[in-house]
Amino acid sequence: MEIKAIGCEPLQLKRVHLENGHTLKVYQQTGGYESLKKALKMSPADIIEEVKKSALRGRGGAGFPTGMKWSFVPKDNPKPKYVVCNADESEPGSFKDRYLMERDPHSMIEGMIIAAWALGSNTGYVYTRGEYKYLIDIMDVALAEAREAGFLGRNVLGSGFDIDIHTHTGAGAYICGEETALLSSLEGFRGHPRMKPPFPAVEGLYASPTIVNNVETFTSVPQIIEMGGETWRSLGTEKSGGTKLWSISGHVKRPGVYELPMGYADMEKFIMEDCGGMLRDDKKLKAVIPGGSSVYIMNAGQILGKNVTLDYEGLVEAGSMLGTGGMMVMDETVDVVDTTKNLTEFYKHESCGWCTPCREGTDWLVKIFTRITSGGGREEDIQLMLDLCDNIEGKSFCPLGDAAAWPIQSAIRQFPDDFKNWIANGASSNGAH
Amino acid sequence: MSEPIKVTINGKEIETEKGAVLIDVCRDNETSIPSFCYYKDLEVQASCRMCLVRIDKMPKLQTSCTIKCTDGMVVTTESPEIEKAQRSMGEFLLANHPLDCPVCDRGGECELQEVIFDWGDVEERFKEPKNRQPEKYLSPIVANDPQRCILCKRCTRVCSEWMGEDAIEAGNRGANTVIGTYGGWLNCSQCGNCIEVCPTGTLLDGVYRHATRPWELDQTITTDVYSSDGMQLSIGSRGGEVHRIVARDRYVNGLNGEFLDVKARFAHEFINHADRIKTPMIRYSKGGKLIPATWDDAIKFTAEKLSAFGNSVGVIASPRLTNESIFTLGDFAKAVIGTENYAIADKHDMSAFLANLSVPLCTHNEIRHAGTIVLIGGEPDEEQTYTAKQIRQAVRNGGAKFIVINDTPIRLTTRASRFVHVNVGSIDAFALAAVDPKFDNDIAAKMGIDPGEIDAVRKTIFESQGDVIIMVGAELSSDAQAIIAAGASSLNGEGRRVLLHPLAPYNNSVGAIDMLPGAKTVNEVTKNSKALLIAGSVQDASILAGKEFVVVQELFEAETTEHADVVLPAASFAEVDGTFTNNAGQVQRVRKSIEPVHRAKPDWMIALLIARAMGAEIDSEFSASTVFRSIAESIPAYEGMRYPMLKDESTPVQAKYSVAERGVAGNIETVRKAVENMQPGEKYYQMPQVGHKLHRVTTMTSKTPQFHLLANGNPKPENLLVSPLEQFELDGTTRQKEKAEAAVIGIGDRSNVGGR
Amino acid sequence: MAGATATSYTDQIVYTDEIADFSPEIIAEMESHLAKYPPERKRSALIPLLMLVQRERGWIDNPGVNFLAHFLDLEVTDVWETATFYSMLNMRPVGRHHIQICKTLSCRIMGEPEITEHICSKLGVHPGETTEDGKFTVSLVECLGSCGTAPMMQIGFDYHEDLTTEKVDQILSSLG
Ligand SMILES: Cc1cc2nc3c(=O)[nH]c(=O)nc-3n(C[C@H](O)[C@H](O)[C@H](O)COP(=O)(O)O)c2cc1C
Ligand code: SF4
Ligand code: FES
Repeated sequence: MEIKAIGCEPLQLKRVHLENGHTLKVYQQTGGYESLKKALKMSPADIIEEVKKSALRGRGGAGFPTGMKWSFVPKDNPKPKYVVCNADESEPGSFKDRYLMERDPHSMIEGMIIAAWALGSNTGYVYTRGEYKYLIDIMDVALAEAREAGFLGRNVLGSGFDIDIHTHTGAGAYICGEETALLSSLEGFRGHPRMKPPFPAVEGLYASPTIVNNVETFTSVPQIIEMGGETWRSLGTEKSGGTKLWSISGHVKRPGVYELPMGYADMEKFIMEDCGGMLRDDKKLKAVIPGGSSVYIMNAGQILGKNVTLDYEGLVEAGSMLGTGGMMVMDETVDVVDTTKNLTEFYKHESCGWCTPCREGTDWLVKIFTRITSGGGREEDIQLMLDLCDNIEGKSFCPLGDAAAWPIQSAIRQFPDDFKNWIANGASSNGAH
Repeated sequence: MSEPIKVTINGKEIETEKGAVLIDVCRDNETSIPSFCYYKDLEVQASCRMCLVRIDKMPKLQTSCTIKCTDGMVVTTESPEIEKAQRSMGEFLLANHPLDCPVCDRGGECELQEVIFDWGDVEERFKEPKNRQPEKYLSPIVANDPQRCILCKRCTRVCSEWMGEDAIEAGNRGANTVIGTYGGWLNCSQCGNCIEVCPTGTLLDGVYRHATRPWELDQTITTDVYSSDGMQLSIGSRGGEVHRIVARDRYVNGLNGEFLDVKARFAHEFINHADRIKTPMIRYSKGGKLIPATWDDAIKFTAEKLSAFGNSVGVIASPRLTNESIFTLGDFAKAVIGTENYAIADKHDMSAFLANLSVPLCTHNEIRHAGTIVLIGGEPDEEQTYTAKQIRQAVRNGGAKFIVINDTPIRLTTRASRFVHVNVGSIDAFALAAVDPKFDNDIAAKMGIDPGEIDAVRKTIFESQGDVIIMVGAELSSDAQAIIAAGASSLNGEGRRVLLHPLAPYNNSVGAIDMLPGAKTVNEVTKNSKALLIAGSVQDASILAGKEFVVVQELFEAETTEHADVVLPAASFAEVDGTFTNNAGQVQRVRKSIEPVHRAKPDWMIALLIARAMGAEIDSEFSASTVFRSIAESIPAYEGMRYPMLKDESTPVQAKYSVAERGVAGNIETVRKAVENMQPGEKYYQMPQVGHKLHRVTTMTSKTPQFHLLANGNPKPENLLVSPLEQFELDGTTRQKEKAEAAVIGIGDRSNVGGR
Repeated sequence: MAGATATSYTDQIVYTDEIADFSPEIIAEMESHLAKYPPERKRSALIPLLMLVQRERGWIDNPGVNFLAHFLDLEVTDVWETATFYSMLNMRPVGRHHIQICKTLSCRIMGEPEITEHICSKLGVHPGETTEDGKFTVSLVECLGSCGTAPMMQIGFDYHEDLTTEKVDQILSSLG
């Protein structure tokens, strides 16, 4: 597996290849915690302003402008404020946060401390998926080092500012990546999403103002403070600043985590050259899910020769979304009915069960897929599935419902033959599973 | 809030208040919106997604249960798009539903059924295998068919928000989500509110189960016969038999909404019980047997005997009886016998409290919206359950301050902002605090608390805005009660109104006090009389030993009837017309649901028959309403009341008690002396178990077999699929092997119900 | 797993009042979790403590649930509602080595079916089952964040990535 930057200096990936890059020592030797020192001399408002200027958009999937989110935290609320790092990374196809935490945990910690200073918070939590136990151990060590060195705890670097950060483990639930479900879980409840509004920035953890950001969002913060928001933004495009990590998996020769500047051109080059091209030379590209499982699937025709730029706008234009940047590449041996069934099973398993359309809809859809792939497909099934997706999309309590509908809708749209084959012949077109 | 605004619903402009919930506004304006999870005054859930509407300028359909109205909002609730969305939610909910309405106890009153039938022509597109789950029992009282569940979670919310019990929750995830408990067994007070609020037949009344179909029942709206909250309920009867009690608000719009407790809802099997006294009986000689007699003979016999005692006849009335009966018995004593020897069989007398009101009594609605609640003694969770629920919601949903002063850490203390934990038996002393801070040090010493705690209570009251409600338990002495009732007005202040709430022990304790002013104690009356007419039972029957002649009007043979020379079968609350007065002083109707069983008679009627046989002039037409008119004419607080005024359960009529400044110097002196003599006490730390009073087996509750299992610790059966009544003896021991095996055979039968 | 009957947890656990016993070191560890949250928010520690109970006792057993209810001032049903939501918390016993094979998209297209087939036939179990000696439980789980190194499995907390059938054989034989 590769981990490297292409088309830019490694920024997020600056330390991942250093020996002991996860230690405080190496972190400080390579400029670590200098941004914090700088930030503590800035006013909170100025920090938020820099982050706004950087055009940093949240890296957890929704792409919400981070500076704007921070500015929603009410200044006059007497309750404690919380900073929460979303390290739940459960989106199929996404595995970038894992390497940031494994090899450069202090970046994330420094980002969280700066955020806490900017927002007037004294407590932070890192909510990590339970399966990433080894990362929690790494982060616990890093947090202890930072505490020891005075970056955390009372009176950070003599500034009078107190902050502590704790790790918190999840226990296996994709929905707990959704920020409000994460907060329910952090309070010890079932991981059900909560109603928005009120947004977490106003009423989050323990009904107090809370900021939830992705790991990669936080690791960007020290860089923004270091080089200035403008400079950081200019690494990317006008609307999507900076660089972005992409997780790429599936049928390519060099899967891995790549750092690309926002607006990287183009997607075909990235897959076919940067990642070494198709895994098996004799197999053609069939499909790509570009942004983690919760986005539209694309067929090769939407990518090859289309100069798709890798940023929020470029992927929307090309008919999908950037999401978490978890790119899954499939060659022609893949049967899209099977892959879509696989993802639908994922969403059914991960549906929290709170709302009717997602809970019952995903269960129903899986049953239809199961029937089709055991040879019992009916002509009306395609229409029925599209209608069920329509009845879920936009009507569920949280976006997981939409995320379950989109892969099916796009798969039927982009790969109608795969479905027709199953229904007409009771078998896949290419003999693949 | 309450800023007037305009919203447009389906093109029609409507005036409402800013922040009003859209779904309520629609419904108040003849726009129906289907919903399952929405329930007024419970936390918003927004999970069923049935209530989708379109709001201009919003990208997606919105759930109307989560939308707060703003000025100029334009709403559409009917369009092809909305109908498709709503129908699709119905379709999703039915996908794994067994569609077994014909065998479902909820059939006919199921909200899911109603919504779906309303649409008509629903195509069934779900042709896949259904997820199956067997029917089972969660307790002797609550049965469960999980497959019918639509996960609206009303049950879990009422359990937590109303009852504070968190006994039932959702487990598992996604399509596997089930409502249940750890271990599958429901350990709680068994209030059954989860059954009541369930829109489908998922949670089922284990007492009523499979008895009859809901639409075959005649519904009679009446008042609970157990608690002094005066909860409104609907008795479902058929062919002279009571099958079920519900609070379902489709029948009743009473003060308690859909709330009832375990006794009100389930302990009704006494009404048609085989042990009801079937005929009048006479014991012709002391020590002899009770011999059945006709009504005429028994009345005649009684009248003749009583006449012989002149005015040495005492009269005792149970506080469970209707106002009409208690009043008539009082009249009988005064006018027919010519005696002041009459009593209420109530161990905890609250007449001193009611006689010294310096501020009005509060309603339950005022409790729900109070600013501060001070609970002195009492255990509402076990006795005045609806009061407890209102307290809990006032604190939890309304942010009220809640102070508990008690010698026992009752369950409500977990909700208290302050718990003044006093020594056992020292609670009376607290009354002194209400009148004078100079007592603080003495009181505190006796109560085993810091004087600062008393001052803190006072401070909280003085800083309150809105209503301050002072509740007093019946275990306080009469003097202490009088002091608090009289002292309450001194706590009034700017922006603050003080109200009182007596935690009376019986359903008609308050009415009994109203009906029999100047009543003596049971002991006094017994001591002063040679003969006694007792309607109901006395708490300690041994005091009747040696009395020359005792007449008892009862439902069941009990200890009291063992001392009786004549036993007359009385009609239960379900068989009579009348009124009860609750702890808010509200006078509410009791209505006849079935003809009296075994030709039993209402207690007031029995008294009148005896009186007539004794030669008294009876001008009454022998109807409850005539008796009530006499009440209204002679009891000032009830002046002008008539049955037609009491018709509407949604606006109960409050008795007009006199509220005035009172002198209670004598009471203060008595309590002060008592406090002086108080021995240093101890503290009691154990929180009483849920249900320790509610589940007690009494003459009435014992007739519902499920209560025996509850009283015996709600033992968990081997086999949750079979009724625990099949698996246990009433004393909670396991039945013999053959019977247990017979129960096992049931598994197969039951799990097939509703399967496909 | 998909298809498991939802009621099975609740119906078959024998309900006892026994409270699990933990060593002072473990209690100290639990308290270090509690210390992360405001004192009135003890429930926040529930999931970390459930994970700890599972580590110590192998699964979320009845005495363990009773302990947590007691330790955090909760009802047992509160513990149950939370615990049953999370797929890593085992409400029934599992083998000494819990083999969790990722079955989601990237792993699936990169050879998960062969790996699963290989492991299951080698151990003589179906997914979701435990070997008779109680040594292995095989589960199919959703994406574990290892798509770039697919196919993969997690045994206990250890990630095993870029799997081949040979590699699987080596790993299994190295387990005691
Ligand atoms: C179903 C669902 C799952 C999600 N999972 C994650 C996740 O695993 N990690 C993450 O950072 N954000 C996840 N998100 C996005 C979060 O809700 C939230 O937008 C994000 O944490 C905000 O951080 P950001 O602004 O830094 O992206 C998920 C959202 C949804 C709807
Ligand atoms: S869409 Fe509904 S059921 Fe699905 S995860 Fe979100 S809240 Fe839960
Ligand atoms: S009533 Fe609005 S979502 Fe259920």
